[in-house]
Amino acid sequence: MKTLNRIKRQLYIVVLLIVGQSCSSGFLDEVPLSDYSTVGVLTSETGFEAYMTGLHKAARDEMAARDGGRYFYIMASATDVADFGITALHSVDYNNLLTPAAAHVRQVWDWAYQDMFPLANTIISYADDPDLADIWSSVEHKNAMIAEAKFFRAYTHNVLANLYGGVPIADTIYMTPKTDFLRNTREEVLQYARADLEFASQWLPTTVEQQGRIVKAAADHLLTEVCISLGEYDLAVASADKVINSGLYQLMTERFGAKLAEPGDAFSDMFRDGNQNRNSGNLESIYVWQFEDMTPGGQGGSNGNNRLRNWGPWIQRLTDPNGQAGMVRVDSLGTGTGQVRPTNYFLYDVWQDSWHNDMRNSVHNMRRVFHYTNPASAYFGQVVEPKTNPVDTMQNIYPYPRKIEGDVGTLTHTSSAWSGRTYQDFIVYRLAETYLLRAEAHFRMGDLQHAADDINVVRNRANATPIGASDVTEDFILDERARELITEEPRRRTLVRMGRLVDRVRRYSIREITANSIQEHHQWWPIPQSAIDANSSARLEQNLGY
Amino acid sequence: MLKRKSGANLLKKDTNQNVIVMSKTLIMYGNQRPLYLAFAIILLTMTSALGQQSVTGVVRDIEGQLAGVSIIVKRSNVQAISNAEGRYRILADVGDTLVFRNVGYMEKEIVVPLSLTIDVVLASAISDLDEVVVVGYGTQTRRNVTGSVSKVDMAETENLPNTNVGQALRGRVAGVQFTDNGRPGQSGSILIRGPRSLSAGNSPLIVLDGIFFNGSLDNINSNDIESMEILKDASAAAIYGSRAANGVILITSKRGKTEKPTVNVNTFYGLSDWVDRMQMLSPERYLEKSMEIRRLEGVPFDPDDPTTYLTLTEAENYRNGKVTDPFDMISQQGRIFSADASLSGKSQSTNYYLSASTARENGLVLDDNSYRTAFRVNLDNKITDWLTLGTNTMFSEIDNSGVPPNLTRAQIKSPFGNWFREDGSPAQFILSEEEGAATLNPLYDNYLATSTNFRTNLFANFYTIVDIPGIKGLTFRVNYSANYRWIRDYQAQRNDPHLPNANTSSASKRNWKAHDWVLENILDYKFKLADNHTFDITLMYGANEDSQESTTASADQLEFDAFGYNRLNVGELQTVSSSAQQVTGISSMARLNYRFKDRYLFTLTARRDGSSVFAANNKFATLPSAAFAWIASDESFLQDVNFLDLLKIRTSYGVVGNQAISPYQSVSLASITRYVYGDVSALGIYPSNIANDDLKWETTYTTNLAADFELFKGRIGGTVEVYDMDTRDLLVERTIPIMTGYSSIWTNLGRVNNRGVEFSLNTVNIRKEKFEWSSSFVFSHNRNKIVSLYGTDADGDGREDDDISNRWFIGHPITVFYDYVFDGIYQEGDELPTGYQAGFARFRDLNGDGQVEAEHDRTIVGQGGQPRYRWGITNNFRYGNFDFSIFINAMQGWIGTFNDMDFSFNSFSPMRPVNIFDFGWWTPENQSNTRPSLAYRQSTLGHNWYSNRSFIRIQDISLAYSFPSTFLTKHSLSNLSMFLSGKNLWTFTDWLGTNPESISADRYPIAKSYTLGFRIGF
Repeated sequence: MKTLNRIKRQLYIVVLLIVGQSCSSGFLDEVPLSDYSTVGVLTSETGFEAYMTGLHKAARDEMAARDGGRYFYIMASATDVADFGITALHSVDYNNLLTPAAAHVRQVWDWAYQDMFPLANTIISYADDPDLADIWSSVEHKNAMIAEAKFFRAYTHNVLANLYGGVPIADTIYMTPKTDFLRNTREEVLQYARADLEFASQWLPTTVEQQGRIVKAAADHLLTEVCISLGEYDLAVASADKVINSGLYQLMTERFGAKLAEPGDAFSDMFRDGNQNRNSGNLESIYVWQFEDMTPGGQGGSNGNNRLRNWGPWIQRLTDPNGQAGMVRVDSLGTGTGQVRPTNYFLYDVWQDSWHNDMRNSVHNMRRVFHYTNPASAYFGQVVEPKTNPVDTMQNIYPYPRKIEGDVGTLTHTSSAWSGRTYQDFIVYRLAETYLLRAEAHFRMGDLQHAADDINVVRNRANATPIGASDVTEDFILDERARELITEEPRRRTLVRMGRLVDRVRRYSIREITANSIQEHHQWWPIPQSAIDANSSARLEQNLGY
Repeated sequence: MLKRKSGANLLKKDTNQNVIVMSKTLIMYGNQRPLYLAFAIILLTMTSALGQQSVTGVVRDIEGQLAGVSIIVKRSNVQAISNAEGRYRILADVGDTLVFRNVGYMEKEIVVPLSLTIDVVLASAISDLDEVVVVGYGTQTRRNVTGSVSKVDMAETENLPNTNVGQALRGRVAGVQFTDNGRPGQSGSILIRGPRSLSAGNSPLIVLDGIFFNGSLDNINSNDIESMEILKDASAAAIYGSRAANGVILITSKRGKTEKPTVNVNTFYGLSDWVDRMQMLSPERYLEKSMEIRRLEGVPFDPDDPTTYLTLTEAENYRNGKVTDPFDMISQQGRIFSADASLSGKSQSTNYYLSASTARENGLVLDDNSYRTAFRVNLDNKITDWLTLGTNTMFSEIDNSGVPPNLTRAQIKSPFGNWFREDGSPAQFILSEEEGAATLNPLYDNYLATSTNFRTNLFANFYTIVDIPGIKGLTFRVNYSANYRWIRDYQAQRNDPHLPNANTSSASKRNWKAHDWVLENILDYKFKLADNHTFDITLMYGANEDSQESTTASADQLEFDAFGYNRLNVGELQTVSSSAQQVTGISSMARLNYRFKDRYLFTLTARRDGSSVFAANNKFATLPSAAFAWIASDESFLQDVNFLDLLKIRTSYGVVGNQAISPYQSVSLASITRYVYGDVSALGIYPSNIANDDLKWETTYTTNLAADFELFKGRIGGTVEVYDMDTRDLLVERTIPIMTGYSSIWTNLGRVNNRGVEFSLNTVNIRKEKFEWSSSFVFSHNRNKIVSLYGTDADGDGREDDDISNRWFIGHPITVFYDYVFDGIYQEGDELPTGYQAGFARFRDLNGDGQVEAEHDRTIVGQGGQPRYRWGITNNFRYGNFDFSIFINAMQGWIGTFNDMDFSFNSFSPMRPVNIFDFGWWTPENQSNTRPSLAYRQSTLGHNWYSNRSFIRIQDISLAYSFPSTFLTKHSLSNLSMFLSGKNLWTFTDWLGTNPESISADRYPIAKSYTLGFRIGF
């Protein structure tokens, strides 16, 4: 009897074990333990702010996420202002540079559609969700949030339109896969961007606390460019007027900022560390990508601003006349890799009329003289003599605009390769370009005097000789943009926008194979093969010639 | 007199032994001494009087002494039986024939020699079909198994220096592909029958002592393993339901076998070397390459003056005749050492097996080492006649610390570099004028960095078995298993004192922990109705959970680097990150085994699984299967076929699932990032995952048909098996147009079919007393094809669309290479397309429109992923106490990408001083038609280079010697043997890389090794 009782008790425990499990309802529910969900985050203004920060980071990734001369810097190399510096048999031939399988062709596309649009569209769609109406402190607040996202959406559409031509407009977020995308026309894409920018202009704040955030002037600035592309020159001028007449911005005509003790001028001060943001006293900048040494989030995907790395010559490879190493690394020169080598057109031709008086060609803004830096060299401290070997002159030593120079960051400084990256903020838009855009709009309307006036505003600050109305041509505008904006403007997109890429590459490229290989169809980039392959239910048309 | 004396000796010495002498009817036990002594004396006297003598010896099998063996003198029919220590004594004449018989062993006849001593080793005669097979939630005799179960007896590979249990599978089981990645202490991958899933895992489920094992096979000491069973078809695997679609490997650890406590010690030591070192450009060829590049670039150089085309450092070393082979610099002597000891035994109530082991492997690359320490306790105790408690517990720790040099950095190193500074430390760059991350001296990190990497596993399974009193055959079992896994991954980089004004120090600690548990209640009822109906019903209900968490803390710019990773708070820049995840499951299972007349066998199984990884709409799967087997040879009409020992026909159909995806794939997720506004850091969030509310397990429907046969008294045995596996609702991480904002989504779609044939044959070719030659051959062929994908026909050509983006094509295997067709090299004088020059690769214009373009000129150029054919042959030769074994492993009919054939390593800067593999190149003087010129880059068209992966490898050779039983007896040993073995000695292949078998980590060399080992037991 005792044994039986014991067995009963044992069985009872066993049964409990079984039943106990099935009672635990919700055992299979899945709640991510360390990941956010979109729906979960976008329930407060703070959540939207976090998405917006993600969007700003994605925007900076245009430069920082993918390193190297064939991504952001392809916006300058193999154009009229610059060529590939290091000898790259492959890329210097346009037939190899632009193919549907080329990495950069895919990277820009993927950046736009994977990094930029989903974030922008998520913010735009959720902000207007009626269920979330309560979270906003005001309608203005909500619309400002949408406006900033729309600015980025327009920015991205404009990038695509000026590289690939017509592309699928990204106007929504997708909850299920879609495989039948079709290309919109370039005009439709730009019109869509224009509508976004008009909204953005209406609702964005005129000034911001957080450096780097988008202000109304940025939208107006971009709207000017988009309207020019659309042939709406009146609107372009009106939009530029809003920036120029806002009273908030002025060209920097006096020295300012953190490096007053160092030699320089008003122009060079804009490109010294710490002097890009408005709160540094730079009243010309409108939109600035933010970098910061030794701060989480300050580094971009490849540890910072890689402008020096890509534009700077590879001086460590330079030998002195004895054939010994002539250079060691010094902070003032940094570590360039000679990926983007300015053309003679930029280094010499554009300065001919004001070589000595144009501030932008001063020793503070153009480095044309180098000294041997290797103490072990017999030529230490002496000026580097003219070189004739093509490897030297294309890659190892050439004059360059000193905008690219910056303080060597702590991590860069110590990383294994002294990678040539800095943490200087990068000006995307500044007032000088707004003037040049307005000049272009005036020019295209036939108002050469106003065009000349705008150009002269920029030239006067640089102490360059003013021009007359009859001097204004499309080529002159491009020359002026080169003088003022080299390394800042995405030159390739400017040329594509104006339809001038092919003829100017033929004219100014210093690499014969580049000049000879470019054909009319290279005006537009090919659609990446990966996008065509994945779009299985509809045919995403390739651009002609590819 | 002499004879008498021997009789007297017997009485004196052996009267304490249990068994002594007997006639046909009389058995005498020593402990019943008083009564039977007299008989013994009488008997002995009688037999001696007849001229007979006392023959003695010890009977044993491969495990040790054998008790209860009957020994019969053929002429006189006198019998004896061996005692607990295997000893026997029997009266016979010189020249008489003794017959040794024992159930389960091969009968043996031996003629009595002059020495009157016969030690004998009986070979196991257990038919393959009578051995016990673990089938999951129970065991069966092989004869009664209805599904497709392959047993791997670890004894077959005990003379091989295998440290990983997976290595015992390699090439020895039909339909199982084990791929070794060549690195020390790292398990390879296992594929059973063929890949079924497009994106979810294709790795089989590992069940260790009855419990899902989420750990790694690396952690298991292979000498602790008794056997492995591979469940291949749906019927066998169905009890594991939604985890079983890729097959199941049941691993069973050892138990005590003898009442006497048994100690076994195994050890081996070996040296290893490169099978094949990748051929870099020799210094001379390097000069040729440097000049050829300059010629192509149009850059002037003087062929007689290397300073015009080498860097400064290179030129100096060239002048001084100093050349360095990078692979010499990064190599170390490969070694392998393993030692383990176990104590095992059993009593009426307790069974125990305890072991400790260590395995130390040094790879061929500097500091690529792995050390494993493992302990095991298997213990069970029958507390009462109805209650048993037990545990199988394993603790194992693998130390993979060390920072091996980066092989991709090594393989581009110029032969003319300076690898060391004057103070003897590795230089940062071997060419000081050449800087960049890729050109770092591969020894630099090895010198400055330290790493501590431990993977620890504590796997404990506790079980209770209740033999329900009163109901015979009804048992209840509860398994509770806890598995804890830890990874400690700590790294530190010291400050390089050679870099002034710089602080290169950094350190990080990553701690990862996983805890998973399984609780299972199993009810089993075996009973018989009438004589002909045997039932075995198993019911199971259980739950499981797998939780993982990790924390990483990092610091850069350490104020003091002496603390390494032990004091991260001295870092100027500190970052932390952490994550966690959890997967839960609920399972129930029912199985019926029914035998009619012991020759018609039925198995019905159903399992219902719930898993958290699937979407809310689809949490549960029910997966049934059925099998039938017929032992045809037991039918009366086959009784007369003399050579046929056994013929069994099996067939099964069933459904199994695959849930091998990460958690949270069905919900939309967002990831975090950071940005700065001014100098203020801010948290950013971005969407990272597109949701799928309908995500569920994928389902495989398997039909299996097989025949097992045994012929000529066990001399020939084997299995032929054919199967068809149809996998539907595939878990697919499908590439979607990036215009959706996402590059891929997890979804269920399409259909994949695997069909195959497997054949295994075991033969005893020669069986003589002193010599035996046996062979086993396994062959498998799996044909894998995609039957359906999205069901769309966008181009309207009347057939379903392929998915070019993912390289999935209807009617073709899952892994194919879709590319342009290589068609030689453009030669001088050929008509060249725009942008091409002589020496560029030519691709076939498939549609003949005059140009080669993506849309029309790419096609399927070959199959990857799995070979078309896998086969292995083992030949075992035994001569006396020597065993020689040679094992050949082959995989044939597949290709792989091999982009080291391209010159794109330096597409940006082809004149950089980098080395390449020497596969040759086109020049105007040497117009190759297979290799392009150095100016050619594959990225023009975006194509890959391919090489044939087929290989035949002499995988293992071993020679073993077992000491004779006389020696063992003398030293009270149960066994002593030594072996010499060689691994990976010869590989026959066209593959251009180092190892055709595993190409994912291709740059790691595969080692050939020579090993000497000992095994001793007492």
